[in-house]
Amino acid sequence: MKLLTHNFLSSHVKGVGPRGFPLRLQASEVRIMPVEFNPDFVARMIPKLSLGEVPTEPIQGYEQNEDFLRTMHHILLEVEVMEGTLQCPESGRVFPITRGIPNMLLSDEQTEA
Amino acid sequence: MDPEAARLEKQHVHDVYESTAPYFSDLQSKAWPRVRQFLQEQKPGSLIADIGCGTGKYLKVNSQVHVLGCDYCGPLVEIARRRGCEVMVCDNLNLPFRDRGFDAIISIGVIHHFSTKQRRIRAIKEMARVLVPGGQLMIYVWAMEQKNRHFEKQDVLVPWNRALCSRLLSDPSQPGREKQCGRPERSHPCLPPCTECSCSVRFKERCGSKRSRSVDYEPAEAGTCCAIISKGGGGENGFYNALGKSFRSWFCSRSLDESTLRKQIESARPLKSTEARAAGAVSVQPSSQSNLDLGRQEPLAAREQNLDEDVFLETSQKHSEWLRAPGTRRHLNGDHQGETGRNGRGSFLGSSDTKEKRVAAGDLEEGDPSAGKILRRISAAGSTDSIPDDAISVEGRQPDVRDSRAFMRYYHVFREGELCGLLAESVSELQVLSSGNDHGNWCVIAEKKESRD
Repeated sequence: MKLLTHNFLSSHVKGVGPRGFPLRLQASEVRIMPVEFNPDFVARMIPKLSLGEVPTEPIQGYEQNEDFLRTMHHILLEVEVMEGTLQCPESGRVFPITRGIPNMLLSDEQTEA
Repeated sequence: MDPEAARLEKQHVHDVYESTAPYFSDLQSKAWPRVRQFLQEQKPGSLIADIGCGTGKYLKVNSQVHVLGCDYCGPLVEIARRRGCEVMVCDNLNLPFRDRGFDAIISIGVIHHFSTKQRRIRAIKEMARVLVPGGQLMIYVWAMEQKNRHFEKQDVLVPWNRALCSRLLSDPSQPGREKQCGRPERSHPCLPPCTECSCSVRFKERCGSKRSRSVDYEPAEAGTCCAIISKGGGGENGFYNALGKSFRSWFCSRSLDESTLRKQIESARPLKSTEARAAGAVSVQPSSQSNLDLGRQEPLAAREQNLDEDVFLETSQKHSEWLRAPGTRRHLNGDHQGETGRNGRGSFLGSSDTKEKRVAAGDLEEGDPSAGKILRRISAAGSTDSIPDDAISVEGRQPDVRDSRAFMRYYHVFREGELCGLLAESVSELQVLSSGNDHGNWCVIAEKKESRD
């Protein structure tokens, strides 16, 4: 699971709502998987991220700041959590990450439906 | 939400895919051209979700966008992961995403696996929730209206045809994979390229849609694909006859009455012997209670598209294991995608091509003249008439039939206009931009309306 993906995951446990983001990530195994750097792609991804308390205005001129983009590229796309857990900050429900795949299935009682 | 529906979907969607997943890794199904196009048209840097990604065939179509694949079926997701895709296991009915994150979403061959209208709506609403305003959603579902094939009802169980698979495995003449229409691919010996190549597809535009979505492809070469299949090389008559029989049996429809259905839900036992003789897609009567359209288990959150998978190749399993395995194969070429096309002209209503030789779903009229007759006879006579011997024999004796019946996949096939109607009536946050028919599927592209806040 890439960290970019993590930024879009949110807890869907019944009754949790916006307090279910972000999921607390604990990684027991991480791998670095090289991904071709595409600065335009990274620049376009950045505004989509939900960065919480961080000031929402992007760094001035970040699109041209290659170092910044490369760093973001590395963090978002090249770090892979292979084993670990994602925890709903509100309900405490834990979702496993196994072989790089998060499993977000809930039991019936925990779903909205 | 609706435990009966969930149980039915578990038995006839999730469990089936889980069991047959190992056989998918060898498949090289192509991406539907129209879906590929949708993905390629997305802006670079877009974040896209494929809800029901299966083995991930659409996940790498466009390297300029980031596609996240999601499926309810762990084994299928594992296959996609091994191919290097970013994937996860989740439920379409409860997507684990924050609101308004995705620039686009595709749902290819998924919604038709939900057994109640309420669940289908819920699945679509979930996708709409996680779309950014202005973002687009593409949905493909199997069409009830098919050329040369007859679904008696909208809620059907489609059997897995063991005979077909084993025959195909033994066929010595499989060439290497080809992309061109007219040359059978190794992994799709029966469904030939017809379904894979760019056959004519015409999208009907809605009035008021903002974008032109009409796509006309070059028509596939007339008859080439299917002709090759039906003629075959030397010594393949036996193979193609079996194919024909398999196809015939595959889509005989037979209604399933409620009591039988309930038994199936409760015990997962094969159907009664009288029912078991019907060797084809089974119609399921709606339950009298609740809104259970079809007794089915949980729909896949993200289900693998049947659309592309034709046949899967048996790798190491023995015959007997196939019988036990809850494997309904995804429909043969085309289950839903039946419409190939030599004349793929999208609108099945418009086509008057009588020579259509879709091998899909048992359309082997060219190579197997009796097939067509039997089909017509069955269609005309209704589902409860006795099934011709041919069909029964393909399925084998009683036990075989029961086994394949027990492992069937549920579909709610959509009538023309039904998907659009569903969106208009129940998903007001989406605006339909275009709709059409693509290879036997109803497809819609809808856009999330800008919020007024």
